Amino acid sequence: MEAVSIIAIPLIVAGFVFYAAKKKVPVYESFVSGAKGGFEVAIKIIPYLVAMLVAIGIFRASGAMDILVGLLSPIAHLIRMPPEALPMALLRPLSGSGSLGLMSDIMKKYGPDSFIGVLVSTMYGSSETTFYVIAVYFGAANIYRTRHAVAAGLIADVVGMLGALFICRILFG
Amino acid sequence: MLNYVWIGLVIIGVLTAAGNDIYDSASNRYHNGAEFELKYDTTAGGRIAFSKDYYEKFYGINVESRDTLMFPATLKAKSIQIKLDESAPQLWKTIAKTAGDEKQITAQITGKNGSGLLILLPSTSLVKTKAVLDAVISYSGTAVEIAVGLIGVMAFWLGIMKLGEDSGLIKIIARLMRPVMTRLFPDIPPDHPAIAAMIMNIAANVLGLNNAATPLGLKAMDELDKLNPRKGTATDAMVTFLAINTAGLTIIPATAIAVRAALGSKEPTVILMTSFFGAGLATIAGVVAAKILQRLKVYRFDGTSGPAASKEETN
Repeated sequence: MEAVSIIAIPLIVAGFVFYAAKKKVPVYESFVSGAKGGFEVAIKIIPYLVAMLVAIGIFRASGAMDILVGLLSPIAHLIRMPPEALPMALLRPLSGSGSLGLMSDIMKKYGPDSFIGVLVSTMYGSSETTFYVIAVYFGAANIYRTRHAVAAGLIADVVGMLGALFICRILFG
Repeated sequence: MLNYVWIGLVIIGVLTAAGNDIYDSASNRYHNGAEFELKYDTTAGGRIAFSKDYYEKFYGINVESRDTLMFPATLKAKSIQIKLDESAPQLWKTIAKTAGDEKQITAQITGKNGSGLLILLPSTSLVKTKAVLDAVISYSGTAVEIAVGLIGVMAFWLGIMKLGEDSGLIKIIARLMRPVMTRLFPDIPPDHPAIAAMIMNIAANVLGLNNAATPLGLKAMDELDKLNPRKGTATDAMVTFLAINTAGLTIIPATAIAVRAALGSKEPTVILMTSFFGAGLATIAGVVAAKILQRLKVYRFDGTSGPAASKEETN
């Protein structure tokens, strides 16, 4: 299956170029005129990304995360989520690099094939970094009134984390 | 809502940092100004040693570590440089980091006690506030690095998508998925370039092609915004598309598998099925939530710019 993801991009690129050439599109000219927009889109997301990453950075550096973990640990206990996995569930939507580091630390401590190791890596794979996606994607369209995007994204995260816990409990105890 | 989340993160963050620092200084967590006693010998270019018991008694806390802690050290005339590693106690790591270099502590030597050495660790305060300050500076830089790193792949995929537009290929792609896409995004014309960009973004995500997924997703957002009657406000289609993306459905969670393999897992791919299940549920929940929430009065899209719109803008 990993071969699929390696071959996919070259195939897509070749397919697009070939089809355009067949349709007598001036391929080089057309590619360059499209590619011109790359700089603009990438630069457009900077203010949105700065706002989001700095706010999350302040929150994490302050130690507020530990307080949040403390507040929510009774709920984690109730749904039989191991206490070590709770910070992972909370950090996953906020920080990609942070949750990656946390996943590695937990697996280093408990072993990747332990229940908790499988659980945290499933959690990592069960979601995207919601706030990062919101900042970058809405940044590209200059959207600052995001309406129900945060709510929908967080509902998806909660369901993803609970789904990860549920399936791991069923399959691995 | 993002407005309030943002305010919350910043205000709670700063207040918590201040609260933590006040508590630490009131409880004298770092024992500033207290002499710490350790042994120094010249084995292996110089090293220091102290017992776990002494450390625990000194700081009044319990730690998990070996019974005797040893670190390489360089003796100078009036000070000693202690090199820290992974096994160093957390408190010392924090002291080192706050003093500027997380790999070493420079301590003053205040006296000798037989074969022992009395040292004074750097005075430590405002740990969390300094960490907040560091976060502000380093994450502002990270944001720019991410954006600048995107320029190249972004340009590449915009070029490829332009080929698809000029040749009509993206209309063919859009037609293939028409039954699904018209249900998910009823407001978007079925052969609009946004549809093809969204299909390709979702396909790239599912195949685990992160390098392609983000540029294609941004292209899709840009196209969706061309249909947006009220610039600056997210449309229903944008939020639904975002919900699909934040759920991160993929058949190959490559990063998690790579970390598992690197840490010596016997079955690194055991999470393929479980994370597909988790992300699949998340995707369904995200789309359903987006579809239900878009009808709520607080979130409803107002295409016209009436009094309601101008009121919201002052928020």
